[in-house]
Amino acid sequence: MTSPVLAAPRVVREPARDEDSGAWSAGFSVTITGDEPVFAGHYPDFPIFPGVCVMECVRRAAEAVMPPGAEGARLAAVESCRFLTAVHPGDELGIELSWSPRGEDWRCAARVETERGRAASIRLRYRREDPA
Amino acid sequence: MITTEGVRAALPHRYPMLLVDRVTELGPDAIRAIKAVTVNEPWYARLGPRATREDLAYPDFLLIESWTQTAGLLAKRLAGDGVEGQVMLFGSMSDVGFHRRVLPGDTVEHHVRLERAVNDTMIFEGGSRVDGEPVLTVGRVTVAFRPGERPGADTPDPHPGVVSRTGGR
Repeated sequence: MTSPVLAAPRVVREPARDEDSGAWSAGFSVTITGDEPVFAGHYPDFPIFPGVCVMECVRRAAEAVMPPGAEGARLAAVESCRFLTAVHPGDELGIELSWSPRGEDWRCAARVETERGRAASIRLRYRREDPA
Repeated sequence: MITTEGVRAALPHRYPMLLVDRVTELGPDAIRAIKAVTVNEPWYARLGPRATREDLAYPDFLLIESWTQTAGLLAKRLAGDGVEGQVMLFGSMSDVGFHRRVLPGDTVEHHVRLERAVNDTMIFEGGSRVDGEPVLTVGRVTVAFRPGERPGADTPDPHPGVVSRTGGR
C-alpha cells in the first residue's frame, strides 16, 4: 500500500521473542523532517504531523517485523488509538511494538514517544487472508 | 448540504490533507459527505510503471482521516459559535475496521452520527461505503474543543489542531 509518509522506520532494537510472555517485540526510530508532504496542508501556518501519519509510521514498523506465523496477514482493524501529545517537524519518534496472537488474528500494540513524552498508544489487528 | 467552498471555510486543512470534497446531508446529529479518489492523488506520484493494485489502494489511514474530517464538520456545526477561536482535537478512536479496498475512481461516502456528547467532548460513530459496500466501519472517535492558540515552535502541549490528552479511555 502506498504511504502518505516519506520517512521510513529504522530498527533500533532487533525483533525478538520474549520467553515469558511469548510476545514478539522490536524497537524503531523515525525522523520526521519538515520535508514530509503532509505538512503543506496540515496546517499551512502551523505544521503538525497528523495523528493518522503517526499511525502510518507504526504500521510500517509493524509490517517490517511480522512474527513467524503472521506473514501475509493484513491490517484488518484499529482496535484502539489514543493521541497524547503532538508531533512536529524535527521530532524523532521512538516506537516500541509488540506482536501477539489473538485467536486466529494477530495484534500489534505500539507505544510512540517523542522527547516530550508519550505521543500515542496504538493497537492494530491483523488477519490472514482466507486461502480461497 | 455544504459545498466545497463551505468545507474549505470550516476546516483548516489544505492540500494535500483536505480530504472531504462535499457534504451531501447534514442533520441535527448526523452528516454524510463524499471524497472522490483519483489516480492523481499525490500519494501515487512516486509509484513506478509496474505499480500493483495493492500499491494503488487508497491508504487506510487517510480513509480514517477523511472520515474524521467529516466528523469534524459535524462537530463544528453542533458546537456552534460557542467554540469560535477554540481548536478541535481528536483524542482517540476504537473499533475501526477496514473492509474492501478503495481504488482510484471510487467515490467514498462517509456517514457519521453523534453517539453522545459529554461536557465538551463528542463521541462519533459511523462508517464509509463505496457503491453501497462498506469500506470502513468506525466504532467510536472522540472529539473535544479546547481554548486554542496557534502553536509556535516551542509551545508546550497540548497543541491546537491535534489530538488531545482528553477523551477516550
